[in-house]
Amino acid sequence: MLAILFFLFGGLAIGCAISMVAQRNPLYSAISLIGVFISLASLYVMLAAPFIAAVQIIVYAGAIMVLVVFVIMLLNVEEEERRRLRLGFLIPTAIALAVVLISEAAFIFYFVGAAPSPQDPSTSDVGLTGSIGTGLFTKYLLPFEITSVLLLMAIVGAMTLARRATLFSPTARVVPGAMSLPKHLVDTTAASDATEVRAESSVEAARVLGVDESRIVKDGE
Amino acid sequence: MSGTVAFIHRHKRASFTVWFMDWNNPVIHVISLFVAITVAFTVVMLIVAYTVLAERRILALIQGRLGPNRVGYGGMLQPFADLLKFILKEDIVPDKSTRFVYFLAPIVATVAALMTIIVYPFGPDVTLPFIGTIKLVVTQLDVGLLYVLGVTSVGVYGIALAGWSSNNKYSLMGGLRAASQLISYELSLGLSLIGVILLSGTLDLTKIVEQQSDWHGFKWNILPQFVGFIVYLISAIAETNRVPFDLPEAETELVAGFHTEYSAMKFALFFMAEYVNMFTVSMLATTLFLGGWNVPFLDMVLTPGTLLFGVISFLGFLVKVIFFLFLYIWLRGTLPRFRFDQLMNFGWKFLLPLAILNIVVTATIVFFFS
Repeated sequence: MLAILFFLFGGLAIGCAISMVAQRNPLYSAISLIGVFISLASLYVMLAAPFIAAVQIIVYAGAIMVLVVFVIMLLNVEEEERRRLRLGFLIPTAIALAVVLISEAAFIFYFVGAAPSPQDPSTSDVGLTGSIGTGLFTKYLLPFEITSVLLLMAIVGAMTLARRATLFSPTARVVPGAMSLPKHLVDTTAASDATEVRAESSVEAARVLGVDESRIVKDGE
Repeated sequence: MSGTVAFIHRHKRASFTVWFMDWNNPVIHVISLFVAITVAFTVVMLIVAYTVLAERRILALIQGRLGPNRVGYGGMLQPFADLLKFILKEDIVPDKSTRFVYFLAPIVATVAALMTIIVYPFGPDVTLPFIGTIKLVVTQLDVGLLYVLGVTSVGVYGIALAGWSSNNKYSLMGGLRAASQLISYELSLGLSLIGVILLSGTLDLTKIVEQQSDWHGFKWNILPQFVGFIVYLISAIAETNRVPFDLPEAETELVAGFHTEYSAMKFALFFMAEYVNMFTVSMLATTLFLGGWNVPFLDMVLTPGTLLFGVISFLGFLVKVIFFLFLYIWLRGTLPRFRFDQLMNFGWKFLLPLAILNIVVTATIVFFFS
């Protein structure tokens, strides 16, 4: 019974992984990757690690891939054109590396199969929530904290890379959606329901709205 | 491999079927599981069908109309008439749609909505003569709450992919709005539940309910976790795309949002997914904050474990869930829709900090007083 499920989810994971690489439409690749994550989560459940399975679904399938799909939808990424192969020498390299990888995997499988099973997963509580939490906050506290600092650094780095050259002053306000309007439509004197642009200077306000400086309502007018 | 079999079985005892069966027999095991899932599915689908009817009748009452009252007594057969109509309608597929994704999206939405049903405890253990003890839950997971959150978060794809694959501007806008809204409110939803987890020390929904059974209703988590309850309630409304957070399907701006191009049974699947989601978030609110199936003072009158105790507990659970469903409908009849920037500001600048504050206060109190 469990062997059937193992082959079902294992096969699904491999099939989805191949599909992810082979698809030309980026959205199909993303969907295939979600399939891989869900199959892997099912395998984790069968390996008596329900917490890892749930977190796998929440973090990868539920959060990261949603963002990926969101970006693909937002940018409407086109299908990849089939191009002439430029880096042809990579194919034999890939095959050689694949042979190495498969032989390593076979080696590991052989010795794992040969060694006596150290512990019965049914009696251990390694995969349960309580033991993972205890482990993370006692024995592995330092790696845990270092990882969280690393993630914080990644967030700060992304913010630094993504923000514009200068930060707006806190009093600057933008009409909702104004950035996507054509410039001649953003006339704050004509649109009665537009939010007033309050900025330190009219130059800054013009930059906030992305319009010609002459269109901005000057202070006191 | 055999070890994992034993692990799976440890959780499988919890189901509608009986204790004395041979649980090591995989055939009996699978059959009992399917029976349990079918029973839970039928109960939920019936309630969902009548939620739709109740919504139409109550909205009509609020707006001074009659609502559907012609099919059966007081419109009681209306859900079945609607279902028949959905099946018989023409199924239109847009010419320029992305076929595979277009078909996949409603399936993902419905499956993700229905999958969470299996971890909710509908009632206490019931001991029946000649049969044994029955647990009114399909399966008891160590990570039940995380499972619910995970499966719910996968449901976003149904809506987002539907919007993208329809090849329609309104659908795409609806899908994008839905995705961004769900991502934003998922955070405050998840964080609002951490207070309950801190108090109960487990993610197992069955155990969380059992911990709330003392003190005749004064041990329900809504009392110490009132802030978390409010944050959860608001986030849950946003998660299910209901009024006043129904921007993904704002008909005045987007026709019908992500399901504009869907017709017949595919539309019915989205419709069903929305109401099943409503039902499951109501069940989660009941389970975590309102004591699940616990009925105050019932254990003074009846012995726990008897059939009558189980039935009344189950009815108590249903009453609490129906209260939340009524709240949804009531809100829909009362409130106007948010603007999108208001929605984002509310989620990120009010609910999220409030949820985090709730966690900090709860954790401090739990640390010093227990």
